[in-house]
Amino acid sequence: MEQLFAFIAQSRNFILFVLLEVLCFYFIVNTNNYWSASFFNTSNRYAAQMLAWSNAAQEYTNLREVNADLASENKQLRQQLTRLQEGSPSAPAAYRADSTFANRFKFTVAKVINNTTTLANNYLTIDKGTADGIRPGMGVISPTGIVGSVKSCNEHFSVITSILHSRFTVSASLVKANEIGTVKWMGEDPTRMSLLEIPRYKPVAINDSVVISNRNRVFPAGILIGRVRTIGNQPNQPFHELTIDLSTNFGSLSFVYVVDNQLRAQQEQVEQQVDSER
Amino acid sequence: MTLREISSTILLFVFYLTLQILIVRNLVLFDYGFCFLYVACILLLPNELSQTVVLLIAFATGVIVDTFYNTLGMHAAATVLMAYVRPLVVRVQMAQRIQEARVMFTLRELGFAEFFRYVIVLVFIHHSALFLIEAGSFNLLVPSLFRIGASALFTTLSIVMIQFFTRN
Repeated sequence: MEQLFAFIAQSRNFILFVLLEVLCFYFIVNTNNYWSASFFNTSNRYAAQMLAWSNAAQEYTNLREVNADLASENKQLRQQLTRLQEGSPSAPAAYRADSTFANRFKFTVAKVINNTTTLANNYLTIDKGTADGIRPGMGVISPTGIVGSVKSCNEHFSVITSILHSRFTVSASLVKANEIGTVKWMGEDPTRMSLLEIPRYKPVAINDSVVISNRNRVFPAGILIGRVRTIGNQPNQPFHELTIDLSTNFGSLSFVYVVDNQLRAQQEQVEQQVDSER
Repeated sequence: MTLREISSTILLFVFYLTLQILIVRNLVLFDYGFCFLYVACILLLPNELSQTVVLLIAFATGVIVDTFYNTLGMHAAATVLMAYVRPLVVRVQMAQRIQEARVMFTLRELGFAEFFRYVIVLVFIHHSALFLIEAGSFNLLVPSLFRIGASALFTTLSIVMIQFFTRN
């Protein structure tokens, strides 16, 4: 007995070593054992908390990349959404939009590199130009709403007429009232616009959404412009005086989508024929 | 051991472990060079610490690292093996030094050549055990060997580099 104790005392390190290794290999072989499944993995509360902190610090380093990825993913989703919406509008069952028509909008992601909001006529500059297929006249929207239309381009840059421009108007429709009017900037506040030409006999609700109507050649229908803020009526006027809150925050605009209506030339050509015949 | 030495050892231990878990874990060179900096926790423990304690510390370290890699047992097994072999390596490599005076495992005390030799031998043992256990068989022997070589070199260089910046 004494000899046994002496032996254990003498080679206790070896015995400990063997015991620990056996324990380790028990863990390795039974990968789904209770210990490894419930405590010693990254779902452990302390480990997870620590990794969350370290991740939070790392996230800042690749925000730029993530932003660009999200913007391009948004572009794809928007393209799909537009195709679906244009493919099945609220129309009689007999009407079928053909796929060329439904597919006519193409989107390009661009980054805003210069932007004014305080002037009477505001413009933006983006970092895409003719080399990326941008042409004057295309529409520009942001993830939250309408932005403007392309005014001029060179090879790598384009200037955009913002909707905050004294001579920019867009055909807009009120969703609940189902009425079409024109949106125009009155030049004071970069967060407000006016909606004109909505007849008085139509009741208008506060907070009703104002979206781009389908009577335009540049934008897909249904892009949000803003929401009705105030309804102020003068007597003896045939139209409502509506102020709307813009949904696009021009102050923090960073990525925008340039919309290309690929059938626009055809539409214009056929409409021009009628004009010239008259 | 003075109190100052004990506290600095503990601090370095925590430093290497945190570095491993938070930063070096995400660092892989060309799919072959992994860095397991935490082995320095064991390598730099003072020589006069009893081996029983060193083995237990090695096991705990391995389990902590395993927790973050989701591989319970692998790092612990390799680290315990390395801790067990350490006295042998010390006895072979620094026989004379041990008899003469007390040895601290730092770059400054041992000099570059001897420190490098001490670290790379033990790191090599650790990595061989780790990658062979990870492979689970000898089927992937060639890539495993490449990994062992590259990672051992990477880890050793990192440990030596950090030694230039820490004063013990």
